[in-house]
Amino acid sequence: MHLHLIYQLPAPRERVFAAMTDPAVLQRCIPGCEQMIKDGEDSYEAHLQVGFAGLKGKYRGRARVEDRRPPESYTLTVDGKGAPGFVRATSRMCLGEKGEGTEVICDADVQIGGVIAAVGSRLLDAAARKMADDFFRALSRELTPMSAAQ
Amino acid sequence: MVNPTKHVGQPMKRVEDPRLIKGIATYVDDLRLPGMLHAAFLRSPHAHARIRRIETGAAKAMPGVVGVFTGADVNDQCGVVPCAAAIPDLKAPKHTVLAGERAYFAGHPVAVVVAQNAYVARDAADAIDVDYEPLPVVTDPERAIAGGSPLTHPELGTNVAYVHSVSSGDIDEAFRGADRVVRQRMVHQRLTPMPIEPRGCVASYHPGDQTLTLWSSTQVPHLVRTLLPGMISVPENKLRVVAPEVGGGFGAKLNVYAEEALCAHLAMRLGAPVKWIESRRENAAATIHGRDQIGEYEVAVTRDGRVLGIKARSVADLGSYLQLLTPAIPTLTGLVLTGCYKIPAITMEIVGVYTNKMATDAYRGAGRPEATYLIERLMNLIADDLKLDPIEIRLKNFPQPDEFPFHTATDLQYDSGNYQAALKEAQRLADWPALVRQRDDARAAGRLFGIGVSTYVEICGMGPSKAMPAGGWEWGCVRIEISGKVTVITGVSPHGQGEETSFAQIVADRLGVPIGDVVVLHGDTNIAHYGRDTYGSRGLVVGGPAIVMCIDKIIAKASALAAHLLSVSVDDVEFRDGRFVEKKKPDNSVDWARLAGEAYIAKNLPPAFEPGLEASSFYEPENFTYPFGTHIVAVEVDRETGDVKIVKYVAVDDCGVQINPLLVEGQVQGGIAHSIGQALFERTVYDENGQLLTGEFMDYPLARAHDIPDYVMGSTVTPSPGNPLGAKGVGEAGTIGATPAIANAVMDALGPLGIRHLELPLTPERIWRAIGQHAGVAAG
Repeated sequence: MHLHLIYQLPAPRERVFAAMTDPAVLQRCIPGCEQMIKDGEDSYEAHLQVGFAGLKGKYRGRARVEDRRPPESYTLTVDGKGAPGFVRATSRMCLGEKGEGTEVICDADVQIGGVIAAVGSRLLDAAARKMADDFFRALSRELTPMSAAQ
Repeated sequence: MVNPTKHVGQPMKRVEDPRLIKGIATYVDDLRLPGMLHAAFLRSPHAHARIRRIETGAAKAMPGVVGVFTGADVNDQCGVVPCAAAIPDLKAPKHTVLAGERAYFAGHPVAVVVAQNAYVARDAADAIDVDYEPLPVVTDPERAIAGGSPLTHPELGTNVAYVHSVSSGDIDEAFRGADRVVRQRMVHQRLTPMPIEPRGCVASYHPGDQTLTLWSSTQVPHLVRTLLPGMISVPENKLRVVAPEVGGGFGAKLNVYAEEALCAHLAMRLGAPVKWIESRRENAAATIHGRDQIGEYEVAVTRDGRVLGIKARSVADLGSYLQLLTPAIPTLTGLVLTGCYKIPAITMEIVGVYTNKMATDAYRGAGRPEATYLIERLMNLIADDLKLDPIEIRLKNFPQPDEFPFHTATDLQYDSGNYQAALKEAQRLADWPALVRQRDDARAAGRLFGIGVSTYVEICGMGPSKAMPAGGWEWGCVRIEISGKVTVITGVSPHGQGEETSFAQIVADRLGVPIGDVVVLHGDTNIAHYGRDTYGSRGLVVGGPAIVMCIDKIIAKASALAAHLLSVSVDDVEFRDGRFVEKKKPDNSVDWARLAGEAYIAKNLPPAFEPGLEASSFYEPENFTYPFGTHIVAVEVDRETGDVKIVKYVAVDDCGVQINPLLVEGQVQGGIAHSIGQALFERTVYDENGQLLTGEFMDYPLARAHDIPDYVMGSTVTPSPGNPLGAKGVGEAGTIGATPAIANAVMDALGPLGIRHLELPLTPERIWRAIGQHAGVAAG
């Protein structure tokens, strides 16, 4: 499945880029993320608890940042697996200046397998969009000065 | 004298039903044995992957877990999953009970956990960590045999399992002499059988007498007993296989599966009974699928619609490995592709192809629905091309009733038939002229209304042993108990076909005993010592005659005893209404109760008379049987939504002599329901990565109650000359006749828009898009 998503964030590109590659920020912003550990240069180990297609499950996986060109772009690859199946995704993240803020364009290819594919494929598109929406909404809050002060 | 019609021919309710309706029947999952453990399988989420490492420590450490086993632990102790099909030059992978170095379909079992309860077993299976290295996936069978495709099994060096050719008559002459050649590519989609009860088994080993008992939700307990000793180290005569109540099979349980062998192996290894019950999702992913053929078809015809020859090339997607009959199923398509027509020449090439999917195998009709769909669609396409009436073209190509037994180009001998009569009866029941008027009026009003006809013949009563991989005979036993009650034991294994009722009808009439005194036993290899089980519409047709043979033997034996007791010669004794009577002095008679008592107490027997009143028989059929019929369907298609509504459904099936018309009707109704699903809704879908996308009923829509129309059911009766019952079998008729009739009706409805052919299933989306394209209306 291919996703083309665009989000607006209220901070300059440098801050957005830094936040999007900061394991602490990612742990707070990725829905269901229980742990995000940086275990190498541009490599993170993640533990997620996600409900999808009526299947709640724990997923463990590795995320890698590749082709890093701060503050313009990077490629995020995710390889996760859990009892309900596996998720593999590659997403090109492009950060553009948009007024005071930043426009993030992500082009993602997502592949799922196992039980989640067998029972949830028809929901994948909507579920992936929702996860991305939730992530960028949380990230937007992170980057809003007021919420940082609270 | 026998009164053969007191029960036979009556629409008697099934004796099986009260226990099923009341919920007091025993299915595998109802079994509880002391100390019983529970198995759960971990299945590959990848369609094709190398298994680098399996980490079982966390699973083993979970409280309640008794053992965790991977391929490395069991594959050298269990034989490979058997395939009984004899196909020349067949290339086959060794399918071990658990995946070895590679998993090659999504759902391939990789490890098994045994635990004290099913929930712990499932949780522990989820705690196993497998390191997979994904490998290139083969999903499209046509691309699989084109150059440069990845390989499902690299060790075979090809994705081609076999090439099977059927050739008869002078095909070149047929096409040279043709006025017209009609061509069509057709796709017969993959289907998931989806019995309501998934698979399941319980294995229990008795270390004292070293016997193993396997209860399994199977159609074929005897085939399992024959084949399992090749997989686990238990000799056939120490193995008991029991099929308790089975909640639907449809071919999906005509098999020997890895899980059965593994549960048996683990029960021995762990010294405790092991139960496994398949989940619905596992059933969708790892129980056999059906159909799945793609082909190019060409028919040579004369101007007036006579079919001279068929050229067919089809690619059959076998999935990733061979189950019991996987490669044989598509070859049945070639065998019966000429349908109920006199077609002098045919060539068919079937290429069996491996892809990274679940194996296909026999699903209700098994190869014959594919053939019937092809030929019946082709007949309509010919009629369209030549502007002939679809009924007329069928009549033109039918053999005449006096041409039976009819020898086909594919070397089958159709036993008996009157195809014209079935067609005529269906037209009568459909009120044909009024139906045609209704269509024409609807069309004139701009509505999409169509009528579809299919005339079919199928191969049943499987079958003559020379044509069957493991013998096609059937065994039976009839015993008059000391009390005069009658016990019938059959080697067929009914699971919905109702032979506890139909066999009792036959036996009660032939022995002249009350039907309530007859009990039919089946499905336990310790009771029915031999058998070839239930599939291919064989239960009544092959199992029934074995029972009739037993009855004949018992009556002959009882006559000798009766003569002795009546102090007359055997020639002076007549059997009449359940009594053995002195012909000249009818008052002098004995009944079964007295005969049975004497036969077992054995104090007053004729010289050299063996005690007891029991006979067993093997019946070997000389030929298959060939039931046939005509289905007529009227549909209306909603132009706005593409939705198909079945307006009228008429089924006329000729299954020879009907022992119980209620059972016949039930079988046909169930078969049509399956076909409605196939024609309009069902399709097993894998994505390009080999992921199964239709893993449950949300994504795999079976026909529901509101999709099923009222059926107008009729029949003609052309007895089979091949067996003493004159019966032909009816288990698959509905699935064979109905699909092309529905497809032809929908295509007739869409014909005025210029739509010639659409593939199944004829979903609203597919039809709506086609309407949009052909009407030049933007489809959204």
